[in-house]
Amino acid sequence: MRVPLSWLHEFVDPGLEPEALADVLTNGGLEVEAILRPTAGTRGVVVAEVRSVQRLEGSERLQLVEAFDGQRAQEVVCGAANYVAGDRVAWAQPGAVLPDGLEIGRKQLFGVTSNGMLASMRELALGDDHAGIWVLEPDAPVGAALDEWLDLDDVVLDVKVNPDRGYANAVLGVARDVAALTGAELRTPDEPPPTEGDPGVPVSIADPERCPRFDARSLADVTVRPSPAWLQRRLAAAGMRPRSNVVDATNYTMLELGNPIHAYDRALLAGPRIEVRTARAGETLLTLDGVERGLDPDDLLICDDDGPIALAGVMGGASTEINDGTRDVLLEVANFSAGTVLRSARRHKLFTEGSTRWEKMVPPETAPLAAARCAVLISELTGGQVTGVADHYPAPRTRPTIRLSPRRARSLLGLELGDEEQAALLEALDCAVTLADGRLDVVPPPWRPDLEQAADLCEELARLHGYEAVPERLPATGRAGRRSAEDDARNGVRRALAGGGWTEVVVQPFIAVDDLEAMGWDPEDPRRAPIALRNPLSRAESVLRTSLLPGLLRTLRYNANRGSADLRLFEVGRVFRRPTEAEPGAPGGPGGTVLPAEPQMLGLAACGQFEPARHDRPSRPADLYDLLGAFDLGRRVLGRTPFEVVPIASAPYHPGRAAQLILDGRSLGTVGELHPRLVTQLGLPERTLAGELRLDWLVAGGAAVARGFAPSALPALRFDVAVLVDDDVPAAAVERAVRGAVADRLTACELFDVYTGPSVGEHRRSLAYRIVLDDPVRQLEAADEAAAIAAIERRVEEEVGGRLRR
Amino acid sequence: MSGTSDVNAELERLRTEALAVLSAAGTLAELAGAKSQHLGRRSDLAEHQRRLGQLDEEERRRLGAALNQLRAELSAAEGERRRQLEGERDAEVLAAEALDVTLPPRTPSRGSLHPIHETMEAMVSAFVALGYESVTGPEVESDWFNFEALNIPADHPARSLWDTIYLEELAGEAGPTLLRTHTSPVQARTMLERPPPVYVVVPGRTFRQDTPDATHLPVFHQLEGLAVDIDLSFAHLRGTLAEFCRTMLGPETRIRLRPDYFPFTEPSCEVDAFHRGEWIELLGAGMVHPNVLRNVGYDPDRVQGFAFGMGIDRFATLRHGLDDMRVLAANDVRFLSVFV
Repeated sequence: MRVPLSWLHEFVDPGLEPEALADVLTNGGLEVEAILRPTAGTRGVVVAEVRSVQRLEGSERLQLVEAFDGQRAQEVVCGAANYVAGDRVAWAQPGAVLPDGLEIGRKQLFGVTSNGMLASMRELALGDDHAGIWVLEPDAPVGAALDEWLDLDDVVLDVKVNPDRGYANAVLGVARDVAALTGAELRTPDEPPPTEGDPGVPVSIADPERCPRFDARSLADVTVRPSPAWLQRRLAAAGMRPRSNVVDATNYTMLELGNPIHAYDRALLAGPRIEVRTARAGETLLTLDGVERGLDPDDLLICDDDGPIALAGVMGGASTEINDGTRDVLLEVANFSAGTVLRSARRHKLFTEGSTRWEKMVPPETAPLAAARCAVLISELTGGQVTGVADHYPAPRTRPTIRLSPRRARSLLGLELGDEEQAALLEALDCAVTLADGRLDVVPPPWRPDLEQAADLCEELARLHGYEAVPERLPATGRAGRRSAEDDARNGVRRALAGGGWTEVVVQPFIAVDDLEAMGWDPEDPRRAPIALRNPLSRAESVLRTSLLPGLLRTLRYNANRGSADLRLFEVGRVFRRPTEAEPGAPGGPGGTVLPAEPQMLGLAACGQFEPARHDRPSRPADLYDLLGAFDLGRRVLGRTPFEVVPIASAPYHPGRAAQLILDGRSLGTVGELHPRLVTQLGLPERTLAGELRLDWLVAGGAAVARGFAPSALPALRFDVAVLVDDDVPAAAVERAVRGAVADRLTACELFDVYTGPSVGEHRRSLAYRIVLDDPVRQLEAADEAAAIAAIERRVEEEVGGRLRR
Repeated sequence: MSGTSDVNAELERLRTEALAVLSAAGTLAELAGAKSQHLGRRSDLAEHQRRLGQLDEEERRRLGAALNQLRAELSAAEGERRRQLEGERDAEVLAAEALDVTLPPRTPSRGSLHPIHETMEAMVSAFVALGYESVTGPEVESDWFNFEALNIPADHPARSLWDTIYLEELAGEAGPTLLRTHTSPVQARTMLERPPPVYVVVPGRTFRQDTPDATHLPVFHQLEGLAVDIDLSFAHLRGTLAEFCRTMLGPETRIRLRPDYFPFTEPSCEVDAFHRGEWIELLGAGMVHPNVLRNVGYDPDRVQGFAFGMGIDRFATLRHGLDDMRVLAANDVRFLSVFV
């Protein structure tokens, strides 16, 4: 809401500078977002009379005007032609300055000297109109300085109106708060004398819930023309475009009192008769903005005998619009429920000055005063007469009494506000307050429909007393704070990965269906059935991710394209899957809404060199074992038993370079080098690697705390064995056999060499392990080593068909 | 056999000569040769000692003592010279092994943690220290949890405060599903799950149908807080947030409260902090609306509390001196690698 101070001062003047007043309002709950001086800066523009107009010789469209400022007449060249001799215009004389800072000088055009220019409303920052110059009303004082005559130095406060403060959508409403916050005296607007007679337009309200009140007033013999300059200026300052005196009067009254008003050309009403009802199937309405709108059965309409003439509270219809020839006017000063107007405005994406007021609740009590003041203003502006009034208010509402315990208010606010002090603060808001038996019975004024319960009154007490008076205290929570074991575990994994050279990314969870298709998963795979967004940010972000991989790969490519060749990215994040019996979503609440499952994943993507070349070391490209190692590091910091690593040949991976990770019989995820075709298709760096696993399963229950032990005081037995096996025997199987043979004393079994070559034979390989055996009570000897080697030899023979290399 | 004085002169000659040779040895090899020559088995000194047995008792004792003294003196001289030469040799070898210490160190390869998550953890830690528990909730929400439970019915004008991203209907669904527009639904989830007192913070990802700019991201992060107990007041809210701001922004930080509006709190406030010489808008907060307490089965006549919500991305920009939030969402490793 833009509040011109000159207007505000008609109701209250606390004698504060604009900045100080803005602070008072902001600290009082009406945030002043800007202090504007939209028309300030205009200097040297005067009201002039056009003495004569003629086509400028040699030009197609320029006019040569003789302008008179009350003392002298000078020639001005003007591009517009929407005026005649005798009109009053705004003459920016040489040396004048316009609000945008433009300095006006003399110009030579087609052999004549143009002494300044004639200004449009837009050039004066008074409105949007730039179709022609601004033609002032005939009684504008010739020679007057425009800035003084129109009070162009006026300051405008741009006030943010929160949904609970609809009353501040009016100059008077803001004035009431200024009075309550500063103690300055409020001058309420005069109530015009009552009007006699009937407008002769019967009104029927089909749904009084949605339209509780309808005040109809008629005027006759109006003359429609532009409004006087002061009114145009005020509307412009408040951010509205001046149109005609009748329409401007309705807007002026709305800005002043907060009740939107619509004016119809009475002669164009069929009947004339008004019905307020919801739309019927197939009905349409051509609204004032020239759009033919299909109506929804939920839209509330104002209708005449021929059908809809206005979308209630949102916008009037074109067929009954006020026009230059309008003589008789019917004013609609109604009351509509907030929900009705809000739904229509949303449905038609039509948010107007009217609808934004209705949606924040306009009290029905405002209508008669608004109607009376608007009718009088139109009468004054147009020379017409008010001929009748009919105020339809079938079920006048009563305000309930709110019971407030002052003790409770003190407890809630932490403020030592006495009972009587509380009563006085609420009375400053025009609440009717009774203090009895240690409680306050409060009836808020009609313009505060937002005050419904004690908590609302507490906020009023706090803001009037000042939020700054609230002291600082700390609650005694009575317990230690903590994170969940899972949070701690997850952070442990994140830190371990970062420590191991991986960079954490946080990727948006939106992808395209194509991204998932590219992964090449089986059509039955649940990852191929993403949940779509109804209003996505863009087409490429139209579904929720079912996997971290597409986003990670996009991020990898993004960075590779920006010159970062060696990448190791990880992400911890949720994916979204359709709920199943085995994996349902979170409970959706009383409505029984079904929510997706949100598994939490750990994803990896890498390319380029894992160890870049140094002066003392060659580079080493990232490979599958780096990714397996990263997952394994995460596992180790959580104290989980080792993964079972099983080769897989499935999309999106290279068929010979991918694995599945199994823990406690459950597959946690997959990892591998991407299939070369996919790498090409997605434009990724060659040999890009990726993988993801179920982090939520891995961290479930939190990290296991490691158990300690006392290392043996006796020297360990250390020896190497080399196992010769067929080269299709997985290393894991060989290691399992070796470990199994010496399990009771084994403290380390490390594969330190894998050898293939002529000396071991075709399709064979040699795996060499460094073994450490420990016994807590006995010194191990050569005989023990021989026995261990013999046991290993037997075991590898049995389990993997291998033998020991001597 | 010559007389005593001859022997003395002979010993003095041996001594002078040996000391000269030992001290003149330029290398450890030369020294070893000199040692062998003057102290070894075939040295004159050794020869004299061997011959002692042919002397009479008194002469033997006298000469023996003199020879022993001479041997000790020469050994000491040899030892000193050897240490000297070894020192010189070591210095030479070690000098040859010198490294250029200014070559790049072999820092263990280290990645980085995303500043949003690290800021989130720092914020959670600040509240854990104040006695809060950290909880989470789903990112896809029902209309009921995101709006209805929080006192935002369908026709409420406040709904337009949030530009919500909606999901297609899931099978069997009742009521629309959406990407949560704030972490506030977890307030309702928490209160439905447990009786008061409640002291929780909720970090998480939130979503709005918004065009990214320097201060807004469509996918962003919030930290929600909820405290419900017997007699919590606006003063407790203020004290809690002031303490939090001092943890996050420095011990001198001041805050101020201004009235604001949220459907789920009453009274509501906007909290500003004085940071690096200016007041900055930081977060929204207020006393939990009685309707919200009723919606989750709490009795607003018996318990009361406060709630707050703040942008984690916003704190991340403050923490790391960023003037454009979009860099947090871009995942450019050149930016991320700073946060080791």
